[in-house]
Amino acid sequence: MDQLINGLYGIPVAGLIFQAVGYIVDQLPFLSHAAVAISIPIIFAALCGVVCERSGVVNIGLEGIMLTAAFVGWVVGVVATQFLGHGDPTPLFGFTLPLIIALVSAVAAGMLLSLLHAWLAISVRADQIISGTIINIIALGLTGYLISLISQSSPKGAGSFTPLAIPQNVANLPVVGWLINAVFNQGPIAISAIVLTVVLQILLFRSRWGLRTRSVGEHPKAAETVGIDVVKLRYRNVVAGGALAALGGAYLSMELTNSFQPGMTQGRGFIGLAAMIVGRWTPLGAFGAAVLFGSAQAISSSITFAPPTGSLGDFMNQVPPQLFDALPYLVTIIILAGLIGRSTPPAADGQPYSREAAT
Amino acid sequence: MHIKRASVALIAALTIAACSGAAATPTPLPATPTPAPVVTPAPTPAPTATPVVTPAPTATPAATPTASPTPAASTAAPSPSASSTLKIGVVTDVGRVDDKNFNQFSFEGAKLGATDIGAAAPQVVVPNSADEYASDIQQYVSQSYDVIVTVGFNLYSATVAAALANPNIWFIGVDQSICVDATGKDDPTFACKGDPKTLLPHYIGISFEEDQAGYLAGIVAASISQSHIIGAIGGINLVPAVVRYIQGYQLGAMATDPTVSVKIGYVSKSDFTKAFADPAGGQTYATQFIQANKPDVLFQVAGSTGNGVLQAACTAGIDGIGVDVDQWGSLSAATDPTYGCIVTSAEKHLSNAVEASIQQISGGTAAGGNVEYNATNDGIGVSMEQDGKGLITPAIQTLLDTALAGMKAGSVTTCPTTCGQP
Repeated sequence: MDQLINGLYGIPVAGLIFQAVGYIVDQLPFLSHAAVAISIPIIFAALCGVVCERSGVVNIGLEGIMLTAAFVGWVVGVVATQFLGHGDPTPLFGFTLPLIIALVSAVAAGMLLSLLHAWLAISVRADQIISGTIINIIALGLTGYLISLISQSSPKGAGSFTPLAIPQNVANLPVVGWLINAVFNQGPIAISAIVLTVVLQILLFRSRWGLRTRSVGEHPKAAETVGIDVVKLRYRNVVAGGALAALGGAYLSMELTNSFQPGMTQGRGFIGLAAMIVGRWTPLGAFGAAVLFGSAQAISSSITFAPPTGSLGDFMNQVPPQLFDALPYLVTIIILAGLIGRSTPPAADGQPYSREAAT
Repeated sequence: MHIKRASVALIAALTIAACSGAAATPTPLPATPTPAPVVTPAPTPAPTATPVVTPAPTATPAATPTASPTPAASTAAPSPSASSTLKIGVVTDVGRVDDKNFNQFSFEGAKLGATDIGAAAPQVVVPNSADEYASDIQQYVSQSYDVIVTVGFNLYSATVAAALANPNIWFIGVDQSICVDATGKDDPTFACKGDPKTLLPHYIGISFEEDQAGYLAGIVAASISQSHIIGAIGGINLVPAVVRYIQGYQLGAMATDPTVSVKIGYVSKSDFTKAFADPAGGQTYATQFIQANKPDVLFQVAGSTGNGVLQAACTAGIDGIGVDVDQWGSLSAATDPTYGCIVTSAEKHLSNAVEASIQQISGGTAAGGNVEYNATNDGIGVSMEQDGKGLITPAIQTLLDTALAGMKAGSVTTCPTTCGQP
C-alpha cells in the first residue's frame, strides 16, 4: 500500500488519465460490442424494474424470472426441435420455428411467474421483498433440479438467434463504424432491448398509460379517486415487466449461448435493479447505467488480455489484479452511493395498496 | 418510508457486492468442474453384485511389490480370466454418470479395471450435492468395499478424511493431488509437510501433467493457423492446472512455429463462478478477445464458461480446441452445429489412469501418494479430429507423435520453470 501511495505521488496523475483514455479509445472498437452484449440482460432487468416500480410494486424476483425464462426457452427449444426438426433458419437473425416457439414460451413463463408475484404483492399484500426472494429461491432450485433430469437424455438445443451481419466495410467506417458494429451487430433480442428502451421512455412520459402508471406509483389513493383501477393497473404492469425480464433470460440461453447452466443469470437481475436506481427509475437512465456497467466489464476484460503499456501499465501492475475484476461492481456502487440521495423512488413504491386503509 | 427506501437500495447494493464475491468459492476447481449443483436421483449402492463366476484356476498371488509405482496401462493387464474378490465403488461428482466428462470416463476406467482383474462390476453413486460426498464415501466404507474411487478435485477433502480414517481401504482420487500436514490431515495452507506415501499409504492421488496435453494442443493450433495468431482463454490463473495447460500450449505452439503469436486471456482473476460456470460471460469475453486479437484458433481451459468460449469461436468462424475430455463428443458437436468448429481437445486419459490404478492394487504393485499421469504412462493426449475437415494432416500427426515420443524420453520441455504459477 505504501508503495502504491508513493507511486501515486511519483507519477503525474494527469498523464495517467490521458493514457487511460488513450487505451480505452484504442480498445473501443472491440470493447464496445462486448459492452452492449453484456449490458443487454441488465437492460431488460432494469426495464422490468422500472415498469413494476413506477406503478408501486418492488420486484426483486426478476433474477428468478430471468432464470426461469432462460430455462424454459432452452428446454422448449429442445422439445420443439425434437418434434419439428431444426428447420431452415431465416437469413436474417436465424429464426426457426422451434426457436420462435421457445421464445414465446419463455416470455409466457416469465409472465406467469410475475403473475404469482403480482398476486402475492397486490392481492395478498405480502411483503414484496419476501415475495420476490421466494421467487428467486424457487427458480434457482427448480431449474437446477429439472435441468439435471432433462440433461440425462443428452438433449440437443434449438440453436440460437444469429446477429444481424453488418457488412465489413460499414463496420470499418471511420468514426462511426465501431458504434454501428456495437449496436447492430447483435441478435434480434438485443436489438429489441434498445428499441424497447426508447418506446418505454416515450410511453412512460408521453402516454395515458404512462401518466396513470406514474400516478399509481406516486399516490394510488388520488389515482383511485379519479377513476383509475389501481389493482388492475399494477397487475398489468407487473406481468408486462415479467415479459421484459423473460426476454433478458431468453437472451442468455437462446441468443448469447445455446445452452442452459444452473444459475446462469449470475446476479444479472440484481445488477439490473441497481441500474434502475442509478437511472432514477427511467428507461433511458437505466439503459445508460446498464451500458456503463457493461463498459466497465468490457474494459476489465480488455485489461486481462491486452494490458496497457507504458507508465499506465507500470502503475496498474502495482494494483492487485482482483481490483479490475471488481471494477464493474465498484463503478456501480460508487455511482449508486453518489446518487442515492438524489435518486428518489416513486412515493408509493413497495407499499401494498388497500382501498379501505386510510393513508 | 425512508427506512424502506434505504433498505431496498441497501439490498440492491449488497447484492451487487455479493455477486462479485459470494459466488466465488475459495476452493480451486479442476479445469472443467462439473456443472454447478445439479441433482440426480442417486442410485444407492446396492449390496454387491455377484462376483464374476469364471472359475479361475489359481488366484494370482500378490506379485513382489516394486518400489516405484510405474503405472502401466492396459499393457500389463493380468489375464482377463483372473478372478478378484475386490469390491470396487465409485463416487462421482454431482451431475450424472454419463456426462461424457469426468464422471463417465472415470467410471469407465473403473469398469475396465474390474474386468481386467476379474472383479465384480463396480458400483457407482452420484452425490446430490457437495455435502453428500463424505456420506456417500462412508456408505462404501461401512459395506466394507476394498477400493473406492472418488472423481474430481471437489471430492478431495472428503477423500483425505476417509483415507485417514480407513487405512486399510484403497482410495483412488481422480484429479486429486494430495497435500497433507504431518498428521495426515488435509492441509489448507498448502505447506504439504506430511508425506502422503507413509501417512496415507492406501490413497492414490491421480494427477495429470496438463502442460503435456496443452503442448500437443499447441502443436495442432500452430500448425493449422493461417494467420499465425492463436489464442487461449483460461478460466482463472489461480488454478495451477489451468495455467499449466496454457503454458504447455504456448511452448508447443512456439516449438512448432517460432513466428506464431500466442494471445492469452484469463476470464477472471478472482471469481471462480465467472471463471468456470458462466457460459454467457465466456461467450462475450471470447467474442471481445477474438475481435481484439484476431486469432484463428482458440483453446479454452474454462469449464462451462469455456463452452461459451467455444461457441464464440464457432460463431466467429475460427477453430476451437477443447479441454480435459474429447469435447467434440461431450458437447455433441456432431449433431449440434453450435460447437461444430472443435478440431481436437487436450485430453486427460481419465479412464486409463483409473484402470491402471485398479490393476496395480489387484497386482499388489500399487503404492499410495501422488501419481502423475503423463505421456510415459499414456495419461494425456489429444483427441482425434472428428469434424471431417482433415485439418490434422498426416504431417501434423507426425509432429504430435514425435512430441509424444520426446515427452516419454524426457527430451521435450513442456512447462517453464514457473510451471503452474500465475
